[in-house]
Amino acid sequence: MQRCRLPAGGVVERSQPLPFEFDGAGYEGYAGDTLASALLANGVHLVARSFKYHRPRGILCAGADEPNALVQLGRGARSEPNVRATTQELYAGLWASSQNRWPSLSFDIGAINDAMSRLIPAGFYYKTFMWPPTPKWWLRYEHFIRRAAGMGVTASLPDPDSYEHQYAHCDVLVIGAGPAGLAAARAAAQAGARVILCDENPTLGGSLYGGAATIDGGSASAWLEATTRELVDADVTLLSRTTAFGCYDGNLVGLIERVAEHARVTTATRSSDSAAQLAPVSSWMPRERLWKVRARSVVLATGAHERGIAYANNDLPGTMLAGALRTYIQRYAVRPGTRAVVFANNDQAYATAFALQGAGIEVAAIVDPRCGAALDGVLPLAARERLIPILARSVVTGAHGKLHVTAVDVSPLAGGVVSRIECDLVALSGGWNPAVHLFSQARGRLRYDEALASFVPDHCPVPMTVAGAANGSTDLAKALGEGHTAGLAAARAAGFAPTASLRAPDAAPVASGAPLALWSTPPAVRGAKRFVDWQNDVTVVDVALAAREGYSSVEHLKRYTTLGMGTDQGKISNVVGLALLAGELDRPIASVGTTTFRPPYTPVTLGAFPGHDAGPHVEPSRFSSLHDWHVAHGARFVNAGLWKRPHSYPRTGESPDDAALREARNVRTNVGIVDVSTLGKIELQGRDVAEFLNRVYINRWDTLQVGRCRYGVMLRDDGIVLDDGTTSRLAPSHYLLTTTTVNAARVLQYIESLLQTEWPELDVYTSAVTEQWSAAALAGPRAREVLAQIVDIDVSNAAFPFLAVATCYVRTATGPVPARVFRMSYSGELAYEIHVPADKGRAMWNAASAAGAGAGIMAYGTEAMSTLRIEKGHIVVGAEADGRTTADDLGLGGLVSRAKPCIGSRLSERPALRSSDRWQLVGLITVGNQPMPRAAKIVADPDRAAPNPMLGHVTSWCRSPNLDAWIALALVENGRARHGETLWAVSPLANVRVRVQVGLPCFIDPKGERLRG
Amino acid sequence: MADHHVFAVGATMAGHYGAAESTGITLAETNFAAAWNVQASARAPHVASAARALFGLSLPAVPNTTSRDGALTALWIGPASWLLIATDASALADFETKRDALAAAGGALFDVSAGRVGWTIAGPEAATVLAKGCPLDFHPRAFGAGMCAQSLFGRMNALFYRRGQLSADSTDPSLQQSLQFTMLVARSFERDAWRLLCVSAAQYGYDVLYPRPF
Repeated sequence: MQRCRLPAGGVVERSQPLPFEFDGAGYEGYAGDTLASALLANGVHLVARSFKYHRPRGILCAGADEPNALVQLGRGARSEPNVRATTQELYAGLWASSQNRWPSLSFDIGAINDAMSRLIPAGFYYKTFMWPPTPKWWLRYEHFIRRAAGMGVTASLPDPDSYEHQYAHCDVLVIGAGPAGLAAARAAAQAGARVILCDENPTLGGSLYGGAATIDGGSASAWLEATTRELVDADVTLLSRTTAFGCYDGNLVGLIERVAEHARVTTATRSSDSAAQLAPVSSWMPRERLWKVRARSVVLATGAHERGIAYANNDLPGTMLAGALRTYIQRYAVRPGTRAVVFANNDQAYATAFALQGAGIEVAAIVDPRCGAALDGVLPLAARERLIPILARSVVTGAHGKLHVTAVDVSPLAGGVVSRIECDLVALSGGWNPAVHLFSQARGRLRYDEALASFVPDHCPVPMTVAGAANGSTDLAKALGEGHTAGLAAARAAGFAPTASLRAPDAAPVASGAPLALWSTPPAVRGAKRFVDWQNDVTVVDVALAAREGYSSVEHLKRYTTLGMGTDQGKISNVVGLALLAGELDRPIASVGTTTFRPPYTPVTLGAFPGHDAGPHVEPSRFSSLHDWHVAHGARFVNAGLWKRPHSYPRTGESPDDAALREARNVRTNVGIVDVSTLGKIELQGRDVAEFLNRVYINRWDTLQVGRCRYGVMLRDDGIVLDDGTTSRLAPSHYLLTTTTVNAARVLQYIESLLQTEWPELDVYTSAVTEQWSAAALAGPRAREVLAQIVDIDVSNAAFPFLAVATCYVRTATGPVPARVFRMSYSGELAYEIHVPADKGRAMWNAASAAGAGAGIMAYGTEAMSTLRIEKGHIVVGAEADGRTTADDLGLGGLVSRAKPCIGSRLSERPALRSSDRWQLVGLITVGNQPMPRAAKIVADPDRAAPNPMLGHVTSWCRSPNLDAWIALALVENGRARHGETLWAVSPLANVRVRVQVGLPCFIDPKGERLRG
Repeated sequence: MADHHVFAVGATMAGHYGAAESTGITLAETNFAAAWNVQASARAPHVASAARALFGLSLPAVPNTTSRDGALTALWIGPASWLLIATDASALADFETKRDALAAAGGALFDVSAGRVGWTIAGPEAATVLAKGCPLDFHPRAFGAGMCAQSLFGRMNALFYRRGQLSADSTDPSLQQSLQFTMLVARSFERDAWRLLCVSAAQYGYDVLYPRPF
């Protein structure tokens, strides 16, 4: 039973009834309804309580400009607050509740705020609750104020829906598919341009539906149908339910398309708690799609928003904007009342009076402040013919009613006798504000038009034209003409020659009288509230107060009173507010100006911005070609940049840390194998590679022979260590340079930048080959016997000594694989790296694992690798080389070649970098096998009163399975002179202190016999 | 994307995935035998002729274009940098000799055969699917046959190539029906790029085909 539904008409599908629930009561609407129209069809006007005063509120608008009718939609993970009932399409099973009220919508305790409103004027929280300054009472007040004012509640569960991005390019983007937008898209498409036409509504046509207009000699709906067909034939991308929310540099426009929200179905069976879990109609569809459109030219046909007039109690349910009321009657076939008063300062609202009559609603009066010739337009004349009473030169000064309007007070514009008219519906119109949001975001300039009493587009620095009501042209004939011209111009701007024969759609102009600027009317009752901004409860008095207190800029007015904030961003209120401010300041409206328009035009679901880059996919992951093997062998993974690297391979019942200790011990006793594919690899070719390496590394490279590799250290310009790695000479002018895993991109960028900008004369070519090679390191005393089984070269110590490099073949189960073998060691053991093309990585790894089975081979992860290198005292960029250390600090001063300069060598001579109190790399062992605290600082006396001078800090630490001790690398003041001293490692955070013995930063094989053996 | 949405989507076996109806999108792994990177500089004017002599193919001089002859394709991937892709190993054989020959001419040659993986994306919605992850304009007017370009797919670097003879283009709608792109990504991004490709195509329904040559 939809008791306020008209028996016929509208676009709703009466054959498809849809059950829904609002505030616990079951209702029925039709397909094609919005939640707002379905509620009105059921006679529900009271849908919300206001933000500050908790006043009863009804549905004011029929679109995205709605300030009042915000509801909580859905339950559970899909629950969403502040959904505009006026744009939410109805679906079967929709569940919504009102917000900001307790215990119920019709009886709300918070409404006491309304009675106490004299105590809480605009900006009250800036004044009252700042006192007393100490203790900080605001922190306590804030809690209650926020609860009292709160809007809806956000879901706390993860969003079960998916969102996606869509990039698009076009010659002409037309925003808004009303008559102007359709005419523009048609003209541009006929010229051959690639056109995208978007509209926030479910259907195209904008203001055309329901009206009696004639276009090209036929009905408006026939023209709409024919034009839509033309657009489809011309391959125009038509996007309905798609809001253009932001305009960015270079005509990049953000659109949000609601793909599945309107068509949810119940996926769960109707069990008690799962009925609310409504999933998108197709599980393959995203809920919303974020478009990033790059348009050569943009046509804005975004229409206009009707604005209100501030009279006493103009917020009572039953009060609706005139255009919205007409929409509910004509589009949704709703009959929202029985007796109406129209209060308007313009001709367009007269059409609402006719629609009201058509729906069988009595029009008690049209109250119009204008008189004389202003009322001689076509529509006022028609109203007189229909014998609708017109109260000229009159205004509504107040409304009566508790939860719904029951009557209005009308008085002459000049003041005088007040008469009361009974009614249950007020159609209100204070004129139209062109929707200039996107134009303004694109840095377009606005101009105040006195005749229209609104701000209209003036000049735009980017290719963007405005047509129709968005340009202030509300007359259909003018809108069609402007749209057509804009479409042709946009196509021409994109390089297309429009067909001369294409004519603009033709409609008869309607003569109308000029609107009369009217922002508020004097209150009939003292103290009654006259609302400017419905959503934020800002009244005429608040604006006046702000002006009195010196907030003369609109931007300050907005922050002080909250005018124009919130989800509607003042679409219907801003101009009224600034006009009232101008009146208070006695300045012209044009000089007061508007607040800045910023994206988004309407709220955008946050989930749409990450799109698919959410959850575990928030960043892409990089996987070695050996990843599946690691997974199959129980690896725990750790992030290294984007790479997933095995941390360790715990066995059943083993902790990851214990596994790492086992793996590290096995490397020292048998042999281990580790995936080092992630190391950065850069190949260098050209005649001048050696010279280039001489310039970027502290050590010498012109002496490196083919078939040999060398460890090198790079400095920054200022003499501080940048990166380290090895470089191998593969052929006379072909080198391979390795970097640390996480520094690969940075080092390549640095090298390329040097070659392109500093030394373009050098004949050096670079190529990143990290992805080309899978790499494994074999380390341990039995590494050679494993390697010898799988390669076709002699790897004896004599034939293949430490730092040798060779190309060879690895024998694998799938045949011989070309490989590069390097004898280098990170662990300090006898060790080799084997590089094979990445698609052969798995074959090589399997071959090595199989060959090592008899030698006790074990895979090891980054944790064991780290333990091994700490034992050996090898530095890591980031830990030891932390952006403050010189090569000498790290004990690498011996590498510096005096034979040639390099980047950073000059500045590394600075006295401060050579002073004796530098922090130098040392090794630490805890006394008494005490665990090393995390991130410890080094001090001489832990009991000394603060500030206790810090002598250094621990950079890396571990439990050494091979020493059976807690060890660390540390940077300690004048550390090399302190070998043998006992200091303290303290962690004030953990309140731990441990005695540590200072020594060489190398705990295993300081002479390097193992790795050379 | 909740997991139950992508059940089976993302698998690599041949078959139909995603929405039951199909708009004719096909995804197929791209096979190639070798990929070499040729580099030259303004100081080495003879590299182009040396490369032509070595590979029997002219390196395209115009940015983002390609040349193709039988099993070998040369893609412009940067100023004086080309990617040679061979579907037949014999078209790119004897790396070291050719590297030394190019070095003698003042250029360089790098073997990057295993560094990339790729897929061919075909069908009327191929451009739409790619445009879910890539900001390039794939319309035939902007991305003609024989063109290549490097950009992002999701957050991953990718190289896009549209197979076919370079032509002034046409607005022939039947051409759009047969649009066919190849996308190459670094091997380590294979899983995530494939996942994004599948998730993007699932709403249209797509078929995974057997691998086909580049």
